[in-house]
Amino acid sequence: MNVIQAVKMYITKMTEESGPGMKVILMDKETTSIISMVFSQSEILQKEVYLFERIDNLSKWDNMKHMKCIVFVRPTSENIALLSRELRQPKYGVYFIYFSNVISKSDVKTLAECDEQETVREVHEVFADYLAVDRHLFSFNIVGCMHGRSWNQNHLQRCSQGLLALLLSLKRRAVIRYDAASDGCARLAERLRDLLRREAALVDNNVPLTGDVPTPIVLILDRMDDPVTPLLNQWTYQAMVHELLTINNNRVSLAHAPDVPKDFREVVLSSEQDEFYAKNLYSNFGEIGQTMKLLMDEFQKKAKSHQKVETIEDMKNFVETYPLFKKMSGTVTRHVTVVGELSSMVAKHNLLDVSELEQEIACQSDHAKHLQRIKALLGTESVRHHDALKLVLLYALRYHAHASSALPALLDALNARGCPEPKRVLLALELAAARTRSEDLFRMMNPQNITKRLFKGLNGVENIYTQHTPLLKDTLEDLIKGKLRENLYPTLGGDDSGYGRRPQDIIVFMVGGATYEEALSVHQINQAYPGVRVVLGGTTIHNSTSFFEEVKSAMQGVHRTHTRHIKNV
Amino acid sequence: MAAANDDEILEGFLCPICKADLKSASQLTSHFESLHSEEQDVLKSLKDIFGKAKKIILNNDDNDLKETFDRALKLNYQEQAYYHSQEQVVGVSRSSTDYFKAVRSARLERYATETNKLLIRLDKLVCNMPTDQNMRKQHEQEVVPWLDGSSVKLCPNCAKAFNITRRKHHCRLCGSILCHDCSVFLDLNIARAIVDPSAPKSTEQQDPETLEKTGLRLCEHCYNLVELRKQVQDSRNAKTVLVTAYEQMRSLMEQARPAVAMYEKMCQSLFDGETTYNLTDVNAMRGRIGKLAEGIDLLSKQIAAHPADPGTRQARLQNAIRQAAAHYIKEDLLSLRKLPTEAQIEEVRRQRYERAERQIQAERQRMEREAATQAAGPSAPSDNHQDDDDDPLLEQMNIIRGYIKEARKELRFEEVAILEANLKELKKEYQFQKLSSKS
Repeated sequence: MNVIQAVKMYITKMTEESGPGMKVILMDKETTSIISMVFSQSEILQKEVYLFERIDNLSKWDNMKHMKCIVFVRPTSENIALLSRELRQPKYGVYFIYFSNVISKSDVKTLAECDEQETVREVHEVFADYLAVDRHLFSFNIVGCMHGRSWNQNHLQRCSQGLLALLLSLKRRAVIRYDAASDGCARLAERLRDLLRREAALVDNNVPLTGDVPTPIVLILDRMDDPVTPLLNQWTYQAMVHELLTINNNRVSLAHAPDVPKDFREVVLSSEQDEFYAKNLYSNFGEIGQTMKLLMDEFQKKAKSHQKVETIEDMKNFVETYPLFKKMSGTVTRHVTVVGELSSMVAKHNLLDVSELEQEIACQSDHAKHLQRIKALLGTESVRHHDALKLVLLYALRYHAHASSALPALLDALNARGCPEPKRVLLALELAAARTRSEDLFRMMNPQNITKRLFKGLNGVENIYTQHTPLLKDTLEDLIKGKLRENLYPTLGGDDSGYGRRPQDIIVFMVGGATYEEALSVHQINQAYPGVRVVLGGTTIHNSTSFFEEVKSAMQGVHRTHTRHIKNV
Repeated sequence: MAAANDDEILEGFLCPICKADLKSASQLTSHFESLHSEEQDVLKSLKDIFGKAKKIILNNDDNDLKETFDRALKLNYQEQAYYHSQEQVVGVSRSSTDYFKAVRSARLERYATETNKLLIRLDKLVCNMPTDQNMRKQHEQEVVPWLDGSSVKLCPNCAKAFNITRRKHHCRLCGSILCHDCSVFLDLNIARAIVDPSAPKSTEQQDPETLEKTGLRLCEHCYNLVELRKQVQDSRNAKTVLVTAYEQMRSLMEQARPAVAMYEKMCQSLFDGETTYNLTDVNAMRGRIGKLAEGIDLLSKQIAAHPADPGTRQARLQNAIRQAAAHYIKEDLLSLRKLPTEAQIEEVRRQRYERAERQIQAERQRMEREAATQAAGPSAPSDNHQDDDDDPLLEQMNIIRGYIKEARKELRFEEVAILEANLKELKKEYQFQKLSSKS
């Protein structure tokens, strides 16, 4: 269950099926991202693909009859129309057409009628219809999947198709379980079941029966069940980069940062192509610094002990180790730049203090102390408005029902320091409060958790900045142990003969977006439970900024009921 | 609370050189630049490796340096196992090609008969076209019967009434009636090229006015069909200099792939102390890969230098091909393993020989012990000693030696390996025969 591998194999298959010759690949906006997530340009050049074109690029161009064209697009009606146009006046010699999802017969017919010059060789459906972010992480890049509390129909369609594609690309049959308390999850679960039924022939003919192995599970969860996780500052490398600098399709823009070398205005962080990154993805910030220090030490030692290269022999040796050096210098400088940028932000915005308080609110209950510290930080100049907003929201989530809740006063304080749109706190609070929650949001009441916490306390918390673990981890552990309650997470579709058996393959999908912190949890679970393979997906991968966007979109046009007594915004 | 956090901060801000605890949190790089300007070479050497090459490298630290990099950059065994343990097959896919082709051919068949009819007419029209205008008109009418226009009051295409200024005209291919505005003209030269693709093409474009006079008047429908035919023809003959150069380059790459694999194998065999290949063999192989690389480089440069307007797709294509080739050469052809020196090979071979020797010694001792226990048995006389020259085995061995020599000369190392194996087999057989004949 490696999603990157699955997409890669499809694309390799496409380039191989078209045989030798110069190739161009014609894509739409989404498939461009799908490919760029798994292949670097130099890799794809080696597969004889030399040009990358967008199907919606209508500019006039020269005839390229000596090229083979691989078309890889989503089966949308716009793409069919654009492709029909292309086939009527073909610019390339032959066409190999691949759709990233199920295509209707009538659409194939439309295309066939346009192919008057008989340039099309193959028409296929392949199911690489999601962005493979990491081996166990995928996304659809949709921020704001809900509109006014219910699904945006296009996005619902996209997500259900994407999940169908995911199952087909991994060759898995599945039963669907979903969070019964969430309307959005139920909708998606039903839609996915309908799609699976409609394509039953496709599944039956191609996916082998699992036999003795328990049927894989698709577990659909709601982001709003755990609004805390996306709000926290992160200290593991990947999550931290996303929170502070924003990763967009594996790319990080450093253009806004001062004195960044020109080559690093935009850096690519991909665990597939960058082994240093793959290795340190989940290391915390301190460990990364340590690793870099070691590397540089080593380098310096070498530099000191050998001052010069004199003979031809020396030069030759240098050239032979050159690829190694080039690789080393490229990767390490890139990461030094990124880490440098991160640490300057940490220092500038008091992030250590902010994060400590965030973690404490998330993990402990002490109203008076927390209130006092929030007030102190709100009064600190260097704390960003964004962080102030997050702190107040965390406070609101935990204490809004507290007898002496000072939420209105804190909102005033936000207003006073000029924080834009403090109303966002209430929107998020409203959304979270509206959910009939099975457990306390911060999981304090659960006796098991209290003992766990106690033990942790005895051992001494290893790192106060990473005390919080996402709800997802507990949910998954329950599921793996067969303890996830059927009335809260009912099963849909497929035979439930596997009920009560411990699942091996699990695909978790978060409606409303997953986070890199949760990806880390999934990674830890994959390692802790041999034989269990979990893949995590979300409508998008959130950081706190995009999470506020998500909330705003979901609350559009909705009246506040739970928080209507708070008027001062 | 800051005091409580010192440990966590500490790790992130340690300076690699002075190892000072920079919890003042000036960023790693800026600290480096400001406080350690004399140590700049460390940073710089990370950044531009060629410039600082001389200061950093000496041959004898290749290995430990490589180790450091590997430790830092590569996944360790455990992590690798986690990532690579799962086998995966390519996911489900479904082909709609058959359906597509069925729809297409049903549709194209209709067009095909019509196009063929038009082409036959076009052929007849163009072949013996008289130059005289009146004769031409007559000729055209003989080939294609013109529709009787007496009852047609409106142009069938634009539905405008015919009168003195809007005259009736006929499509020269289907004979139907249309007005001047609705007619399209086909250049006679192009028409000839369509009918007979082998005829020399004239590239000159006629201006619209002369075209109207000399060209064939067609209706839009016929024109489209003929035009389509022409495009299909063109795309069949689209092979250009560029494509040939590209194909040559690819075929060199095809040759390079097994050559590199062979080289690796030979190299390994040398390091293992086997005698199948000798150093000159491997060097020759290396030379050959170098030649291939040169060839690929040359061809890709040719492709890149092919004239193309800058900014067009053609130019981008050519650059991309060059880039891919350069990358391929650098990664696959020039990063070959270093060869061992003669002395190293000798050393390895000697060790191997000694090992074998020891083994034989042990074997012999064991045999002797066994022989001693059977000492009472009578020893067989050995009188049928064969004449070496007549032995067919020896003859065969000599022949094979000759083959090997030849194969070496032509760098066919696959064959060398097979022949060497054969030779070994024969030697063994020969030895065995001798032994058995002795006993």
